Amino acid sequence: MGFDFNSLLAFIIFGVTIGVVYGIVALGISLIYSGLDIVHFAHGEMYMFGAFFGLVLAHNVGVPYPVALIGAMILTAILGMLVERVFYRRLTRAGGGYTVAGMGMIICGFGMSVALVNAAYFFFGAEAEPFRANLDYIPRLTFPGDINVPESYVLTAIISVLLMAGLHYFLRHTKTGLAVRAVAHNKDIAYLMGINVPLMISLIFGLACGLAAAAGVLIGPMQSVQVEMGYLMLMKAFAAAVVGGFGSLPGAILGGIMVGIFENLGAAYISASHKDIYAFLLLILVLMFRPSGLFGVEAKVKA
Amino acid sequence: MKLMNKVFAGLVATGVGLATTAAFAGDIRVGITMRMVSENGQAYGQMVMDEIKAINDAGGINGNMIKATLMNDECKSDKGVANANKLIFQENIHLLIGSTCSSVSLPIVDVTAKAGVPQMIPHSTNAKITQKGSEWVFRIPVSGRYYGGVNAKYVGENIGSKIAYICAADAASVGDCANMEKQMRARFGVDPAYRADVQEKEVDFRSHMQKIKSMNVDGILVAALAETMARALIQSYEAGIGEDVRRIGSSSASNAPVPKIAGDAAKGVFFTAAYAAADNRPIAKLFNEMTRKRYGIHAPDHDFSQAYDLVRIMEIALNNADLQLEQWSLKQDRTAIRDAIASVEGYEGLASGPISFCAAPTPQCRDGNRTAVLIGYTKGGENFETEVLARVTMEPDFGLE
Amino acid sequence: MLEIKGVHAGYGNLKILRGIDMQVPSGGIVTLLGGNGTGKSTLLKAISGLIPLMEGEIIFDGVSVSKLKPHERMRLGLVQVTQAKEAYPAMTVEENLVLGAYTRKDREATKADLQKVYDFFPVLRERRKQLSGTLSGGEVQMLVIGRGLMASPKMLMLDEPSAALAPKVVLEIFANINRIAKSGVTVLVVEQNVRMALILAQYGYIIRDGVIMMKGEAKKLISDPAVKESFLGGSVSDTTKALRN
Repeated sequence: MGFDFNSLLAFIIFGVTIGVVYGIVALGISLIYSGLDIVHFAHGEMYMFGAFFGLVLAHNVGVPYPVALIGAMILTAILGMLVERVFYRRLTRAGGGYTVAGMGMIICGFGMSVALVNAAYFFFGAEAEPFRANLDYIPRLTFPGDINVPESYVLTAIISVLLMAGLHYFLRHTKTGLAVRAVAHNKDIAYLMGINVPLMISLIFGLACGLAAAAGVLIGPMQSVQVEMGYLMLMKAFAAAVVGGFGSLPGAILGGIMVGIFENLGAAYISASHKDIYAFLLLILVLMFRPSGLFGVEAKVKA
Repeated sequence: MKLMNKVFAGLVATGVGLATTAAFAGDIRVGITMRMVSENGQAYGQMVMDEIKAINDAGGINGNMIKATLMNDECKSDKGVANANKLIFQENIHLLIGSTCSSVSLPIVDVTAKAGVPQMIPHSTNAKITQKGSEWVFRIPVSGRYYGGVNAKYVGENIGSKIAYICAADAASVGDCANMEKQMRARFGVDPAYRADVQEKEVDFRSHMQKIKSMNVDGILVAALAETMARALIQSYEAGIGEDVRRIGSSSASNAPVPKIAGDAAKGVFFTAAYAAADNRPIAKLFNEMTRKRYGIHAPDHDFSQAYDLVRIMEIALNNADLQLEQWSLKQDRTAIRDAIASVEGYEGLASGPISFCAAPTPQCRDGNRTAVLIGYTKGGENFETEVLARVTMEPDFGLE
Repeated sequence: MLEIKGVHAGYGNLKILRGIDMQVPSGGIVTLLGGNGTGKSTLLKAISGLIPLMEGEIIFDGVSVSKLKPHERMRLGLVQVTQAKEAYPAMTVEENLVLGAYTRKDREATKADLQKVYDFFPVLRERRKQLSGTLSGGEVQMLVIGRGLMASPKMLMLDEPSAALAPKVVLEIFANINRIAKSGVTVLVVEQNVRMALILAQYGYIIRDGVIMMKGEAKKLISDPAVKESFLGGSVSDTTKALRN
């Protein structure tokens, strides 16, 4: 199996299509981190719940795929806000805000992850479920070298880009987005600006979990949907977030794409039997040589 | 004498008090460790428990009850070994049944060999399980070495010799791949046209499929556990590899999640197994009916049939064994059960062929079933359909060095 | 305008303010003086609602605000200008100003106010697309004051507007505060720079160890020997002259 340019191109294209999905999950992780200083370890489960919500909507309720996507995002956003409001916020109240919740929050995130997995076993069962989406209206793209990219991947890439653009527009060009950024930077000052900070925190959680759900519904038709799918996605997205610079939103996307490409190339040219290692290899390399991440600004120091 | 022993054992138990797990004399203690992460796996274990209960309800084994303990190992080797240790050293079982997955059964073979506990394997196909030389292990299913031979013969004669291999990292699939490769080389002198070793739970096969597509192969062997296999099958069609390229499944292809998840992509996939739901024998029809009624199974796969055969073989062996079932006789009883299983010969049940064991701790003696059926999916989805393509019995030595 | 009655407050079990009484009359400038760790920032936080009261009451414009959340107090017109270091450095000048008007629903008036702030601080107009992290110390101070004005306040509280600024810049800032007060906004200035603050204000409170140690008309305080001894040194006339200009 010698080197040929077409396969290299194929590996990179496929790396990008899976990478954008890592990217939108990483985007949520970064959003929560930059907003609330929480490394949210239950985010993989939000992705999993999103995938299941989408599946139930598309198969059991019978709505079209785009509606299922939006519905799953909304339901998961509500789930995320509930989890934050009911569980996480209690932890932070004693500390006077999210900034000092620290280790307790990390442990709570892990616990929430386990609890959500078990809840999912209870509600959705242990079997992997096929997610059949009718995507006939999406064009099949053929790249030079006869590289055929299936519909679902085209769709994934398009929707991911739209979501990122939407988030960017929201944060940069709306008043609420401005308030979210203000809360992310400093909650006390945000209070003094008259911003309803608790509401913005809920909004951040909702947005981040909605993004994770979108990733779940997007990846559903490619891979089947199962309860344990969240863990690996969390790890990949985490790697993507760190590679791109933790807390940086454009970094999360670029980090995701890099992780996608890196692991596809590793699988292709080194060995495919330990593919998941490459994401972490990249992570370690980045941490060794550029600890703030490839696209990260200087580390955010909090009082 | 027996009565005195019982009294004595009772006294000892009271004397030692609660410090030891008091094992009640008179019960035959059977421990089961299986995969129960999927609902199918749960039903296998459930069926074993139900069948044991039926034996007890009918008066037990020579008047003794079977006390069965079912544990979940989730197809994870660490959990399986922990379960085996608990069952053996805390529950003091006479017989261990397990496990579903080769990667779990393999390390448990060492545990049972060291502890001297007979182990009956319900589902694992990896050839190495019986090659470790343990005199305590008995395999009900067909060993991967036979499957490899049957697969290779059929593929070479009916499909072609230019085959791409996708091999996942779980023990069963690694074994299936190696056996197929070995047999293709031995019979037809060909090496794989393409080979990709992927992770046990790989989700993305697209780059491999692209390469395979450009190679114009005759067939693709997908050796992986059910869900992984289903994903690979779907992605092979997504990549644009046509129906004329035959998809060959590994031993997990018989599991219901494959046609269910793969849907239309399962159509045309063929594989070797130890039981075909399309079997026309009356016993098979009754069995299909029973699993449908009891567990709501559309069509039982060979993991169901093997679990059922296992219970029947266990029943025969336990009836033939001379058991004391006292506290002091644990070691002696375990040996008696082992020898009784080893002398089961020509059992004909649901399996594709007769199952026989013998005393020597060799693969020839301990791979009980040597007959594989070739099965093809004619329809995928929830209500999948299969057909029997061929039935082949191999020599006991086949596939050994 | 603002009345503080017997306020006790602090963090967790640590009580810092121990019975503060204070009045800020409408339309004037009142200053709250004290060194580091005397409780002035805690008092500001208690007034703006960032920390809850343990005891006492705060009445603003005739309404008890003790139980209101920060953004609710802000909507009543009780606006705190943060310290200069607390501008949002990753946002542009204009974004910072828009943020100041976050609670307002009157879009047209807000737009007009933005222009007013730019007229007030022309340097901010010049730099409106720049990230506020790139501004000089004095410019950032103008920015946070401008941000406070954007909320259309009845009363503006300033937290050490002279901190870490060169004397010349401080004069400029204080002149601006004077202009704001003249436009009809009640001002409470919390300061360490006692001399300047007392020249600017009509009335002064001196806080130490969580209690009001001294209070009175600014003119009297500035010549009070005790204050002079603990805080002041040198002549005040130069500064007075500069401020009047």
